Amino acid sequence: MISDDAFMIVKTILDYINVFFVIYLIGYSSFLFLAVVIGSSELYKKRQQEKLKNTLLQNYYVPISIIVPAYNEEVTVVQTVKSLLALEYNLYEVVVVDDGSKDRTSQKLIDAFDMQPIRRPVHRKIGCQPEEFVYESVSEKVPLTLIRKKNGGKADSLNMGINACKYPYFICMDADSVLQYDSLSKIVRPLMEQENIVAVGGVVRPANSVTLDHGRVLDYQLPQNILACMQVLEYDRSFLASRILFDKFNGSLIISGAFGLFKKDVVIAAGGYDHSTMGEDMELVVKLHEYCTLNEIPYCVKYATDAICWSQAPEKLKDLCKQRKRWHLGLFQSMWKHKVMLFNAKFGAVSFVSFFYFLLYELLSPFIEIFGVITMLLAFVFDLINIPFMLLFFAIYAVFGCILTLTAFFARTHTIDLKISAKDAFKAILLCFFEITCLRFVMAFVRSTAFFGYKKKRLNWGRIERKKINIK
Amino acid sequence: MKVEILIYAYLAICAAMIIFNIVCIFVFRKKDKNIEKRSIDFTNIIKEQLENQKVDEEHKKFLRKKLKHINHMMAFDETLEKLYKENPEKIKNYIVDLSSVFVFLTFKYSEKNVIQAAYFPYIIKKYEVFKGDSISVVIDQLLELVKEPNLYCRENALQALYSIGDANSVVVALKILNQKGCFHHAKMITDGLLSFSGSKETLNKKLWTVFDEFGISIKKPLLDYFRFESGNHSEKMLSIMTDSEENQELRFSAIRYFAKYRYTPALTFLYDFAKEDSAIWEYKAITASALGSYPSKKTEEVLKELLCDRNWYVRYNASDSLERLGVEYEEIIDVFEGKDRYASEMLRYRFDRKKLKSKEVTTV
Repeated sequence: MISDDAFMIVKTILDYINVFFVIYLIGYSSFLFLAVVIGSSELYKKRQQEKLKNTLLQNYYVPISIIVPAYNEEVTVVQTVKSLLALEYNLYEVVVVDDGSKDRTSQKLIDAFDMQPIRRPVHRKIGCQPEEFVYESVSEKVPLTLIRKKNGGKADSLNMGINACKYPYFICMDADSVLQYDSLSKIVRPLMEQENIVAVGGVVRPANSVTLDHGRVLDYQLPQNILACMQVLEYDRSFLASRILFDKFNGSLIISGAFGLFKKDVVIAAGGYDHSTMGEDMELVVKLHEYCTLNEIPYCVKYATDAICWSQAPEKLKDLCKQRKRWHLGLFQSMWKHKVMLFNAKFGAVSFVSFFYFLLYELLSPFIEIFGVITMLLAFVFDLINIPFMLLFFAIYAVFGCILTLTAFFARTHTIDLKISAKDAFKAILLCFFEITCLRFVMAFVRSTAFFGYKKKRLNWGRIERKKINIK
Repeated sequence: MKVEILIYAYLAICAAMIIFNIVCIFVFRKKDKNIEKRSIDFTNIIKEQLENQKVDEEHKKFLRKKLKHINHMMAFDETLEKLYKENPEKIKNYIVDLSSVFVFLTFKYSEKNVIQAAYFPYIIKKYEVFKGDSISVVIDQLLELVKEPNLYCRENALQALYSIGDANSVVVALKILNQKGCFHHAKMITDGLLSFSGSKETLNKKLWTVFDEFGISIKKPLLDYFRFESGNHSEKMLSIMTDSEENQELRFSAIRYFAKYRYTPALTFLYDFAKEDSAIWEYKAITASALGSYPSKKTEEVLKELLCDRNWYVRYNASDSLERLGVEYEEIIDVFEGKDRYASEMLRYRFDRKKLKSKEVTTV
């Protein structure tokens, strides 16, 4: 038995913890609520505008270099490059950077596109590992270059691509992703619409169970694999919701490494991709915010809601855990490196809203959630828990999360003209509950363990099992 | 318990959003079906009119009544698009006959919200409704739309003005853009001017007359437009290129002009730019590229010197120009081999590329 004093101390502590959690959850719910409502109405407005031709109707061709970093991608690289060469856009080049693969990545490309060796000088504007050879092909619709370099990681490969590419804007993408046929014309639109744009993020959608033909969706359905299916819901929620909201005040901190467009000279001036972080995509965007703000350069980071890249979502729990650990570490490294941005009035809303949100609800959330579970156990031990209230609270939280996810899913599906079957709609309704109540907690645990052994994996490409995307 | 109330309120609003989304799906489907149905009706009515020499007044009255509604206008657009593919000439004549209907609609659409108002100039441009016929009320209304902060509205109105082909109104529109100072991408202005359907000569004259009244954001696309339009602007371009007080972006644009159109009086100045050790390397780099259009021994000498420049872009452009001038790699490689690594690297690359291209041509 414990004394009354000790009991009172525990009770007081738990009361404070309760207050913290109530505020924490209200903050999170309010954010998600705002994000989904704003995102959903934005998409609706966009659709209306398109129907009434309130859009840029001409094709404006901004020259773009597409950089494809590849490491041991012999299974998918040829398919990826073929899909890039089929894009409906006139002015672009493709630069594949083979980061010293141990498989036949380079040879596959050389054979498939009849590439020839060339002694090409590379202008080193950003530091990167030296090139071993360069191949070019002039027989394709657009210039295609292959650079094989000494292994140095994804960021290093991207830096090599930036050094070698010739156009003022570049797109970074993954070697296992496929761009939709109109994705380039869509991602350059913001450059036409607004000045001082330094980066534009595209939408990444899981391609599992989607059939594509020349970058066009022939058949769209939710994946058979339950894990991939839950990720579809998760992607829709995060892309539709938070990114559109952040976009409203130039507060986007993440542009997915699978599809983003950047202004080359600003990226070079900011120092390019950082070799030492795992989340080089996030780090670059945060760095651009910091660089432009501190140097008083007017800038804007935008999000193109209709520029779509199809990518593979991991279908195995092991791969998903690996991916999420990597993302979480990347988030930590980026935030730590640019901690000057936290609560710094110079950065305005980027600091007080975006950065703070990522700190509290992304970086610290797994720890806070686990702490919540421990607190519940403690309260249970001291008989300080109101079980019916706790269950009600959980239920409300779960239903709220489900409704938000479904709002995002349906808004996204109907506003981009993707038809879903009744079976898939039902599947989404059913699975969103599992996503909120199970996957989310599993991922919280996984993310909280991300720091174990991270030094060992610092320059690792973080491989997940590769499969070919279903292309006709 | 107050927390729960807040969450319940959120829940209710989100549920309302789902219902809204689902209702939207049905409303959109119904709207599409209605437009399809209306389009079929329009097709029959318009086909009747196409049989006649002139569009009858009754039909015009019918259109005045219907087309003021946006959904009918969308159906009308869909119908015309289909019929145009079958018989473009007849549709063009039909549109010309409907001029008075569109004048009437100009007023009606000016009263609508900005998204709907922007649809009307889109129709004017698409079917070239007032091509060569600058009706002042229409022009005035389009100029009003150019003042709108909404980019699409502005751009649609500008496109309509280009399609009408009245040089004066285009100049006024550019002055409005200049005065408002809102961002309108240079590429959109340049491409728009190139699509101008009236007399380019008149337009050019008017643009040069008021050129100095514009700020850089308009001057720059104007110079790009002149570059793509014709080689008839050399004198004016030369004065911009040689004016050291002029904005450097405009001077770069003028150098690019002389890369496209050979103009001997510009050559001396280009040589000067190539030799000048200005802090702004772009002059040298753009000049290195421009010199590729001026074949002569002296040009080759200047370009060979530029091959050893410390700036990468200058070397790159110089090697490109030498290649365009047909200078053989073997002629110059020995000069640099062992002396200037950067120059020989660049030349070797050009040589490899040339070989690669010729191999490709042979294969084809």
